[in-house]
Amino acid sequence: MAQQANLGELLSMLDSPVLSVRDDVTAVFKENLNADRGPMLVNTLVDYYLETSSQQVLHILTTLQEPHDKHLLDKMNEYVGKATSRLSTLSLLGHAIRLQPPWKHKLSQAPLLPSLLKCLKVDTDVIVLTTGVLVLITMLPMIPQAGKQHLHDFFDIFGRLSSWCLKKPGHVAEIYLVHLHASVYALFHRLYGMYPCNFVSFLRSHYTMKENLETFEEVVKPMMEHVRIHPELVTGSKDHELDPRRWKKLETHDVVIECAKISLDPTEASYEDGYSVSHQNSARLPPRSADVTASPYVDTQNSFGSVTSTPPSVSRPMSSTPGQLPPPLSSPAPRLSAEAPQATLWSPSLVCGMATPPTSPGNVPPDCSQPYSKAFGAPAGGKGTPSGTPATSPPPAPLCHSDDCVHAPLPPPTAAPPRKEERTDPARPCLHRQHHLPNDRGLEELPGSKGAVTLSDLPGFLGGLASDEDSIEKDNEEAAIYKELSEITTADTEPLAEPLVPRGGFDSPFYQDSLLGCPRKTPSATTSAQGASVHPEPLNASLDKLGPDTPKQAFTPIELPGGGRDQSPAGSGEHQTPLETRILTPSPFRVPSQRGAGFGSGQPPPYDHLFEVALPKTAHHFVSKKTKELVKKMPGNAEEACAPSASPLEVLDRLIQQGADAHGKELSRLSLPSKSVDWTHFGGSPPSDEIRTLRNQLLLLHNQLLYERFKRQQHAVRNRRLLRRVIRAAALEEHNAAMKDQLKLQEKDIQIWKVSLQKEQARYSQLQEQRDTVVAQLHSQIRQLQHDREEFYNQSQELQTKLEDCRNMVAELRLELKKANSKVCHTELLLSQVSQKLSNSESVQQQMEFLNRQLLVLGEVNELYLEQLQNKHSDTTKEVEVMKAAYRKELEKHRSHALQQSQRLDTSQRRVLELEAQLAKKDHLLVEQKKYLEDVKLQARGQLQAAESRYEAQKRITQVFELKVLDLYGRLEKDGLLKKLEVEKTEAAEAAEERPDCCNDSCSDPVRGHSDTVSGHNGETRPPRPGSTRGGGGRGGGGSSSSSSSSQLSTPEKPPTQRAGPFSSRWETATGEPSTSIPTTVGSLPSSKSFLGMKARELFRNKSESQCDEDGVTISSLSETLKTGVDMGMEAKTPLSPDGPRPAPPSPDSVGQLHIMDYNEAHQEHS
Amino acid sequence: MTEDSQRNFRSVYYEKVGFRGVEEKKSLEILLKDDRLDIEKLCTFSQRFPLPSMYRALVWKVLLGILPPHHESHTQVMMYRKGQYSDVLHALKVVRFVSDATPQVEVYLRMYQLESGKLPRSPSFPLKPEDEVFLAIAKAMEEMVEDSVDCYWITRCFVNQLNNKYRDSLPQLPKAFEQYLNLEDSRLLSHLKMCSAMSRLPYDLWFKRCFAGCLPESSLQRVWDKVVSGSCKILVFVAVEILLTFKLKVMALNNSEKITKFLENIPQDSSDAIVSKAIDLWHKHCGTPVHSA
Repeated sequence: MAQQANLGELLSMLDSPVLSVRDDVTAVFKENLNADRGPMLVNTLVDYYLETSSQQVLHILTTLQEPHDKHLLDKMNEYVGKATSRLSTLSLLGHAIRLQPPWKHKLSQAPLLPSLLKCLKVDTDVIVLTTGVLVLITMLPMIPQAGKQHLHDFFDIFGRLSSWCLKKPGHVAEIYLVHLHASVYALFHRLYGMYPCNFVSFLRSHYTMKENLETFEEVVKPMMEHVRIHPELVTGSKDHELDPRRWKKLETHDVVIECAKISLDPTEASYEDGYSVSHQNSARLPPRSADVTASPYVDTQNSFGSVTSTPPSVSRPMSSTPGQLPPPLSSPAPRLSAEAPQATLWSPSLVCGMATPPTSPGNVPPDCSQPYSKAFGAPAGGKGTPSGTPATSPPPAPLCHSDDCVHAPLPPPTAAPPRKEERTDPARPCLHRQHHLPNDRGLEELPGSKGAVTLSDLPGFLGGLASDEDSIEKDNEEAAIYKELSEITTADTEPLAEPLVPRGGFDSPFYQDSLLGCPRKTPSATTSAQGASVHPEPLNASLDKLGPDTPKQAFTPIELPGGGRDQSPAGSGEHQTPLETRILTPSPFRVPSQRGAGFGSGQPPPYDHLFEVALPKTAHHFVSKKTKELVKKMPGNAEEACAPSASPLEVLDRLIQQGADAHGKELSRLSLPSKSVDWTHFGGSPPSDEIRTLRNQLLLLHNQLLYERFKRQQHAVRNRRLLRRVIRAAALEEHNAAMKDQLKLQEKDIQIWKVSLQKEQARYSQLQEQRDTVVAQLHSQIRQLQHDREEFYNQSQELQTKLEDCRNMVAELRLELKKANSKVCHTELLLSQVSQKLSNSESVQQQMEFLNRQLLVLGEVNELYLEQLQNKHSDTTKEVEVMKAAYRKELEKHRSHALQQSQRLDTSQRRVLELEAQLAKKDHLLVEQKKYLEDVKLQARGQLQAAESRYEAQKRITQVFELKVLDLYGRLEKDGLLKKLEVEKTEAAEAAEERPDCCNDSCSDPVRGHSDTVSGHNGETRPPRPGSTRGGGGRGGGGSSSSSSSSQLSTPEKPPTQRAGPFSSRWETATGEPSTSIPTTVGSLPSSKSFLGMKARELFRNKSESQCDEDGVTISSLSETLKTGVDMGMEAKTPLSPDGPRPAPPSPDSVGQLHIMDYNEAHQEHS
Repeated sequence: MTEDSQRNFRSVYYEKVGFRGVEEKKSLEILLKDDRLDIEKLCTFSQRFPLPSMYRALVWKVLLGILPPHHESHTQVMMYRKGQYSDVLHALKVVRFVSDATPQVEVYLRMYQLESGKLPRSPSFPLKPEDEVFLAIAKAMEEMVEDSVDCYWITRCFVNQLNNKYRDSLPQLPKAFEQYLNLEDSRLLSHLKMCSAMSRLPYDLWFKRCFAGCLPESSLQRVWDKVVSGSCKILVFVAVEILLTFKLKVMALNNSEKITKFLENIPQDSSDAIVSKAIDLWHKHCGTPVHSA
């Protein structure tokens, strides 16, 4: 709450008169807005604004930043819904969007837009409608793509409002309808410019309906006369228009300019991009054709041209064309070209124009007929009737229109009176002038519509007329007085005519006119009455022509020309001079001031003027004769005007607003009676109503002004952009020029390079030639040398062949030499051989001789021996016989011997066989024996195992017994008394001795012995207590005796073994020693008689008796070992048992030993 | 060869036609006639055929090593055994572990404990699980063998065989059981698994006690023939067959506890069929044992 209170304070401070406080508070608000994102502050501001319409708040609201726009829009949406706050909200919206806030694109999505459209469709308040339409028109270029959804809404609104213009539903004031019409016209332009296809199709569909036909004829058709055919109608389509891509490229001002381009209306149209020519043409033509189609304003340029040219033309109307050329730079040329053709080209329009006059005359006559001074009343009435529009009929309405139609009225006044007067004069030049007149009007209208411009203009050209200011004022006043007077005179018939005049004066254009008119008058020395009459006349004219419908006179031209025509002839003659002056004065000044820096020089004075001019007028209007109040107001206005920082635009806005405020104040100050008196005095219309209309009018005007200003801004933006383009183009041109220069330089360089290239080429060719000659020379040399070389080569080859020949010859010779040598050697060898053979043969010959001699000797000897042999031959036979006998005997002997031998062999062989059989038998026996042995072994093993297990069982039993005994001992000891213990122990001992005895029945002897030994051991090993209890004597003796007995017991079979062999005796000695030490012997001895041994013996005896004898010893030993093994397993270890661990190992070992030994020994035996 | 000549030439056809066991007794007698009994052959025989009850005790004793293979030493060895039995019994009586009132089975147990050195300090000590197993087996054995000495010895050796020879293979049996059950009836197995009864089946009863107390002795001794002759796998098939036989009932039970309870107390009437089928199953899966010789 505190914050709210604070807010309230701050808000109230916003409007404080102290500038610094205001700035501070504004800053505070902005800070808050930056910090706070909530809608609260914005809402409060909006509320406050709607309450007070404070400028500061407006400023803050229109400059809201992004996050708050939504709140603002929501809030506005809310208020637009309410009828009471609608108007102010719309104006706020207008203010906001005219500034083109960064969030403008959100408007298309905001709920505000539909509600605005709805409001436009439903609302019946013209002010709201006009304001809304203007806002909508302003908004449209900002959200072109929104058209897609709302297009039909727009069109509907257009249709509705355009019909309104005509039908005037309900009690709408005519004067509002003029505003409305203007805004509808703007809407028409906007829609046609933005969505031509859709719009045209809408128009087609909407106005083909009969009930709308009239509206079309009356309202829409005239509008259409001010637009060109939109190119989109040819190239585009309905869909294409709505394509967002189309709009993406265009900015707001682009859209505005686009719309302006298609307009033929000079107030709307833009003159760039070559349209100006057509405009000029179109503009110029209509004048020629007596303004049939074109609005009078079209030819602003023309007007300038004409204005400048007018002097000549005025003097020599027919020769106006040449004169026109020089003064205006741009316009005259087209004009020149245009004018002549125009006459021909636009003959149809002319015809049209001609066609119109018949209608206009009706209007004109009344004008004409009226005296200048008393123009108002009569004309008004006249107008009403001729125009035939029912809207005009209510007196106040037309008056209001006249205000709106400022432009229109002005020219007529100037023109009309002269025309009327000049009718006598031939009209041709006047036609021209007439065009100019409209042109002038257009000029004036433009400034009028663009507020600021006119303001700036005014000082400009007023400056020139500065001297006359006072007089103007006076004139105005006078004029007003006169008007009043005239009104008073005519008042009876038309009471409302009076306000009309002041109103006309109130409008800035009107003032201009009046100002213009005044100077005009002064130079022309026309009476003030005339000046006064000037005002009404235009009004009337405008009223006549325009009727209620168009404030911008778009439609007026149709009638204007007619009027003009009629009048021009009349006016030209008399009022030429005033016309000239009038025309002259505005145009030259205006052009520069409008386009350029016209603002600069005389700003303050114009304001002064304005205020002086405007306020008195208002005062004039509303409180007609109270000049004091006028005076009062003036200072107030002056104050406002003094605000140094404000731009002229703002000043104007404020002026109008404050004017309204002041007006309101004044009104409120007025006592009702006085008012009533006044009003009744003037016609009796209710003052409150009047005040409201006026205020609304003011509001509408302001809206329009703001709209126009917005358009101007868009143009400015456009201009800025174009300027930038121009600058860029210039820069590019500069660049081009620079490039050209560079190019030239480079070309020069190239030429220089070419020259040098040629030089170099020449030098090069020269060098080439030189080189060629040198090369040729060298070639010839080379050839020669080659030739020489070849010669030499040939020579060398020849020589080489020769050389080879020689070599071959040498080789041949060498071969020959070798052959010869070999031959020589061979021969030598042969020679030596031959010589050797020779010597050999010689020695052989010698031997032959020797042998021949020997042969001879031997032959002789042989003969000798033959003789001897023959002598000795008889003795040999006896000897041989004896020898034969001896040989025979010997043979026999040997034979018998051999027989003997063979017999012996047989026997021996038989013997061998026998022996072999025996061997086989023995082998077989051996195998059998082995098998049997194994069998026996197995059997024995089985028994052995059984015995062993039995033994194990025994062992366990003894263990259990021991355990039990120990347990019992333990128990005994636990019991207290010694004696008791002793007694018990003896008993226990006895029991223990008895028990084994009992066992002995079933158990074998060794067991018993063993048990004895155990007990003995127990007695011995138990060191302390048993010793102490039993005493070493008795018991100890018992123990030893038992041990000895056990040894005796365990060896009952000893004696036989002792008998058996020396071994046993030896063992015996060993056994004499403590029994425990040599357990094996104990068991080994008795076993010789055991059944195994017997069996073995039997076996062997059976198998081979003879060998048994031999092997007896070994067998016995074997059997003994066997026994030992068996016994060891069975009994031998009994004495060892107390020692615990010992018994287990020997048994398997012994078995293993048995096995191995047995086998080996058996082998030995048999082998 | 001599054996074959003595055999009935029709014996081959008996088997073909389906008369089983006609020639078995005879062939067993032939086998038993051998001096030095061929233990392997006896094993194979007892695995292939059911033993005639008159020879069962003898064959078991031989197979369990209570009697040696030689006929000659039988009397002597038996004498030893008896002596051992009476010694141990006497000792137990002396230490007052047993009295005349003690049930025979417990006497066997005490004797066994004494022989294996596991005799507790006092007879009142609680029994260990293996003692329970012994008791169960001894109880079944008591029914099968009349002579108390024989009974004690067979029980003792049987248990020893279980503890020594089958020590490694017994724990594997549940796995094998699962495997064969899967082969025979996977649906049943999945049902058991679903009930999470697989791990809670009475494996102790089946494999540690060899169905002692589970099957009646008349059929049990046929199973034990195989166990004694060296195949403990038969137990698995008996278990599988039990499940297959009572499949419907088992499938009807969803609770693992109920299943276990039921299996621990199966009805006795169909036990003979179960054992026959189990032996067939065993032969089917493990093949008919053939004597290598």
